[in-house]
Amino acid sequence: MKKSQLIALVSTPALAGLILGCATVPHNVSASTNSAGAAEVNVKSAAATEPTLTIAEGVIGGKTPQENQAFANAIGAALHCKVKLISVPSTDNYDQQLMTMLGAGQKIDVVYTEGSTLAELAQKGEVTNLQSEIEKSKVLGNPKVVPQWEWNNIKLSSPNGKGIYAVPVKYQGALMPIVRQDWMKQLGLSQPKTLNQYYNVFEEFKKKENAYGLTLSSLYDIEPFMSAVGLKNGYVEHNGKLTIPYATNAAVPVYAWLHKLYANGLLDPNFVTNSTADERNEFLSGRVGMFVYWDAWVPMLNNLASTQGAAASFDAEALPPALGPNGKGLVSKGDTSVFAIPSNAPNKALAFKFLEWWNTKPGEILGSLGVKGIDYTVSNGKYKLTSTGIDENMDHGDPEPISSEWKNPFPSLQKGYANARAIGIKYGYQPLINANWNNAEQIVWQYGDDAILGRLTPQQAVEEMHAALLKDKYISQ
Amino acid sequence: MSTSEVVQPHRTKTLRRPVGYAPRRWKRALPLYFMLLPTLAYLMVLTYYPLVHAVVISMQDFNLIGNRPFVGLKNYENVLSDPNFWGDFRNTLVLGVSILTIGFVAPIVIALSLNEVLQTWLKRSVQMVIYLPHLFSWVVVGGLWIQLLAPAGGLVNAVLAVFGVSPVQFMSDPQVARWVIILVSVWKDVGFNCIIYLAGIVGINPSLYESARVDGANRWQEMRHITLPGLARTMQVVGLLSIMGVLRIFDQIFVMRNAVIEPKVNVLMTYVYDEGFQQMNIGQATASALLILVFTLVLTIFTRRLIRYDT
Repeated sequence: MKKSQLIALVSTPALAGLILGCATVPHNVSASTNSAGAAEVNVKSAAATEPTLTIAEGVIGGKTPQENQAFANAIGAALHCKVKLISVPSTDNYDQQLMTMLGAGQKIDVVYTEGSTLAELAQKGEVTNLQSEIEKSKVLGNPKVVPQWEWNNIKLSSPNGKGIYAVPVKYQGALMPIVRQDWMKQLGLSQPKTLNQYYNVFEEFKKKENAYGLTLSSLYDIEPFMSAVGLKNGYVEHNGKLTIPYATNAAVPVYAWLHKLYANGLLDPNFVTNSTADERNEFLSGRVGMFVYWDAWVPMLNNLASTQGAAASFDAEALPPALGPNGKGLVSKGDTSVFAIPSNAPNKALAFKFLEWWNTKPGEILGSLGVKGIDYTVSNGKYKLTSTGIDENMDHGDPEPISSEWKNPFPSLQKGYANARAIGIKYGYQPLINANWNNAEQIVWQYGDDAILGRLTPQQAVEEMHAALLKDKYISQ
Repeated sequence: MSTSEVVQPHRTKTLRRPVGYAPRRWKRALPLYFMLLPTLAYLMVLTYYPLVHAVVISMQDFNLIGNRPFVGLKNYENVLSDPNFWGDFRNTLVLGVSILTIGFVAPIVIALSLNEVLQTWLKRSVQMVIYLPHLFSWVVVGGLWIQLLAPAGGLVNAVLAVFGVSPVQFMSDPQVARWVIILVSVWKDVGFNCIIYLAGIVGINPSLYESARVDGANRWQEMRHITLPGLARTMQVVGLLSIMGVLRIFDQIFVMRNAVIEPKVNVLMTYVYDEGFQQMNIGQATASALLILVFTLVLTIFTRRLIRYDT
């Protein structure tokens, strides 16, 4: 063999390896990217014989790979195991990447997911029924730590309502009107209780503050107004038949009211294309006086306003929903944020231990304040946030732990939260959703938006919406 | 008087392979075949294996974990009997053909116009400016246009307001939004195709223009009879590449769609996405993806036969 041929034989595989990225990876490298493009953090601090806990998540952890590694270290130290944290930012379509990982056969011990996806995973037997373990558990079986209503919400995702397939990650909170309370005070307005009173508030904002009264993100956040006619978001079931209240004649007055807001320039006309981030920005910058968002965001908006150049007088406050003639109101709670254990998880016992630990005080501190030394310090029993901790606003996946025994160590940074949480608890309910909801919701939004924009009369919109839902078999009556 | 000559055919030597030639040639070529291995491995692992695997999945009741029973052609039947699939197919054709037509003509017109610009700095500046959008991802471009076209605070509506036009709901009127999608798509890629055509114009033999001028041709005649025929090959290649992408429109729609306009702008690839990742109906999503592959193949073969770009 000629010398040149020999060189070619030797160099080709090496070159190919280099091009295809098959170079040998040093064993001590701890941050990498998996097939789904998710960042992985491997904790190697524990002894080699310790088991490995693999967690796929989209909300817990820090904001950088280094913080995620410290976060995984903290879990590993508490549970005496190695922790592999597969961290997919929610902006990178977590659900899609989770499906890719599970479908590709990747073994994961704990997956973060939400109620709608959990319903589909449980339906297909892809996650473990944890009911008996939860009942036996001293932590999760304690109603002070996880109240019964939370288990009931999680059970909405179980096949035929039987079994418990997940454990809550955090108190999910509810969507409620959040108003510029400083404007309300300045204009001498009192808390609105009916749709007419809400209308008057918006009109005042428009006249006196030169701002839109209300902004929305399509029909995502109209529940506090549908509350005036007692309609729930999602599905309701009557005698085994499913229907969508927003697609019934009872919703017509609310669509008509929203159209009136739009036609009179009180509703932000960008509402069809708005993301919730757009809504927050408009609210913080004073372009709108009210939007509908999570209770936990009331203090966060107040804190953000002070650091991000909003008006000095800025004061966000939650409002109760518009009340119906019977004096009752409704706000929808968020889709449950949960941890589940895949049916093929290699370390189910360790995974369940993690789910318990997450709901103990050390787990709650990690999920809210973050990692000691990075996000906060403790001196003489007093907690102090670091600059990283202040930036991250006490949100590391569990900003408001579900336990009734939890007390936030920084009450001054919780302005407006107690009132907002009370509204969520008083008027909140968990919407019933199923595997068809994503498609059904698009139909509801399409015709609802057309009604608000005035392209269809509210009556026409509801009739066409109902017909389209029936045609695609998303409702049974 | 003419003389004739008998021409004898040359006796050519018969090329006979010497004994042992084939093994020697094989031995000599071995390193070359070996060098092909990475490419073959790449194609097998990253193209053909996933394709075969997709065919298998399309015939399964696919669960992420656990059993995946074989269901034959049921997923294909479900796709072909789904009115949403055919609705999205119609949208794909409307959007695809419009983008293809306008996107084919626009860069030629711009390239020909730029070719007439004498100031090099102006020509280069325009080229750079119209090429820039091609470098941005659809997330940026889609978000940018949604903001620009917003009824409140959007630049376009602000300009219209100066002329007394009331705000237009560009992105929530299905018919208008369809045109926005088409024109934004053309706007994003026009610069790239324009550069290909400009490169094609540079490659045209200058002596053809000189001859035409000697024969008294004006600029229009030069363009009509030299430049455009000279660009025919480039047009064929650009046309073929564009046609191959018609059924694969996705990113732009995914970023720019909303509930109101979805029935008019959802395309085949968003159908695949919605079935697969929203409904977790992986078997049906894979079946629809393979049908799109077949449609694209048919379209490509048809176009290739029609334009014969490589002859």
